[in-house]
Amino acid sequence: MPLLECTGLTRRFGALVAVDNVTMTVEPGEIRAVIGPNGAGKSTLFNVITGVLKPTDGEALFEGERISGLPVYEVVQRGISRTFQLTHLFPQLSARENVRIAAQAKLKGRWAMTGGAAVFEQSQHLADAALERLRLTRFADTPARNLSHGDQRLLEIAMAVAQGPTLLMLDEPTQGLSIEETEHAIGILQQMLAGGDLTVILVEHDMEVVFKLAHRITVLHRGQVIADGLPGEVKADAQVQSAYLGGFE
Amino acid sequence: MRFAWTFAIAVVLACLVPLVSPNYMMTIIVEALIWGIFAMSLDLLVGYTRLYSFGHVAAYGLGAYTSALLLLHFNLPLPIAIILAVAISSLIAVPIAWVCTRTHGVSFAMLTLAFAQLGYAMLYRFKEFTGGSNGLAGIPRPAGPFGLEVFQGKIGYFYLVVFCLFGSYLLCRLLVNSPFGSVLAGIRENEAKTSALGYNTRAYKRAVVIASYGFGSLAGALYAPFAGFASPELFFWLISGKVLIMVIVGGAGTLIGPIIGGIFFIFLEHQLAEFTDLWPLIFGAIFIAFVMLAPQGIWGLVTSAASERRRSPGDAASESEDVTGASA
Repeated sequence: MPLLECTGLTRRFGALVAVDNVTMTVEPGEIRAVIGPNGAGKSTLFNVITGVLKPTDGEALFEGERISGLPVYEVVQRGISRTFQLTHLFPQLSARENVRIAAQAKLKGRWAMTGGAAVFEQSQHLADAALERLRLTRFADTPARNLSHGDQRLLEIAMAVAQGPTLLMLDEPTQGLSIEETEHAIGILQQMLAGGDLTVILVEHDMEVVFKLAHRITVLHRGQVIADGLPGEVKADAQVQSAYLGGFE
Repeated sequence: MRFAWTFAIAVVLACLVPLVSPNYMMTIIVEALIWGIFAMSLDLLVGYTRLYSFGHVAAYGLGAYTSALLLLHFNLPLPIAIILAVAISSLIAVPIAWVCTRTHGVSFAMLTLAFAQLGYAMLYRFKEFTGGSNGLAGIPRPAGPFGLEVFQGKIGYFYLVVFCLFGSYLLCRLLVNSPFGSVLAGIRENEAKTSALGYNTRAYKRAVVIASYGFGSLAGALYAPFAGFASPELFFWLISGKVLIMVIVGGAGTLIGPIIGGIFFIFLEHQLAEFTDLWPLIFGAIFIAFVMLAPQGIWGLVTSAASERRRSPGDAASESEDVTGASA
């Protein structure tokens, strides 16, 4: 059974069809990249899958169950964690506390109004592991707002990873990074994915990132899927080239 | 451990107050402590969750009128009446919280204000029940079957209020240092992210609004039997502004700060009112000065001065801890 199955997923904003009849499936263990030119609907697709936006039409099934129409927090509880295109953090809190709050969200005692020593201990443990995985341990006590933009991007990924998601969705993890920062981030992401325990959908602009990380690529153009396949196949696709890879309209 | 000692010393010092204070001062001291509880209750919203309530007087008024009515009609022992008043007020806060937490920012502030005004209007609408503009006078403090006549005197009442102040402080402290409190910090920092992490933020906000109203109503429930009357003034919207100023000047997000802010302003008001009718002007000036020069408030100034003195060169690691306060 595929992990994620989108059928005819559509999202309209007035006359604009941002996501147009998207059908795609993601298998467990897969690293899937979603690429496309600006305004292709990649982030909207993310938002429709994760419940930030309701689909106008179609549906998304996760582990065989319909998740379209569920509130954002419920989608997370089902096992999908994500990052945002624009960094979303708790700026005043330490990096560790950022990740710890993320980890706590999936624990039973998250509602405890008194005490909660076990919850703190368990989430602290998960947080430290996630910080280690993203090579952020040395910033654990630094307030998130004082991290460099590159480390903030990684911190947000650590928050998602600490939740132990079945499906991890990364929205342009290298967005706004310099060339060196991007290389640094790719190295860390490659190490993170080498464990093979994560299923990932990743939106990315940077072709280098995509071809280094992804097993399969889905190409969006004007909200529609125009290609879906292995990196080599997608690279060779004439339609993709004219739409995106250096081509002009 | 250090907290336990500090707390114990504070309790002992508070208990010694009646021995050193002249009897006529006890009225204003009790009133100041009650306002400390009230300001602290608002801090749960303003300081810890960044939910600005402009209608927190509703909690105070609800507590005051419920305890007044319970005491007048049912002749309950005072502590029972107060506990019941808090329970009933918290129940009434449930639908208020339900509606208000559907909104954010200014709309939240306006909705809380609207509910407070609704309460104010209802006092006049249900005159036979609430006494209308005359209010309710002659609220007794029944001793009940356990012989609790100690609360009938000013000193006894003082100890009751001290108990409630320290007790509710401990409860609030537990709350903000719990996993639940961490989620409130998340909502304060970035609500959208908190929700995207899998927390039903609206439910958390509902819970903290109800808790805040609960503690606020305790303040009101203590005040009405102490004053012996309840009037619509206890529901007047200006009180919401006054308590908000206490929280901010005292130091939002610290619990202790707002308690100090509440006590400070009540004393100031009484002292100034003897000299001039223009005391609100001085109130305002102090508020502006704090917002512009020391937004961390009185308690923020105290703690930063203390940590400055304690910090030796090369010991910058503790710096980040002050910022969050709520983290364990």
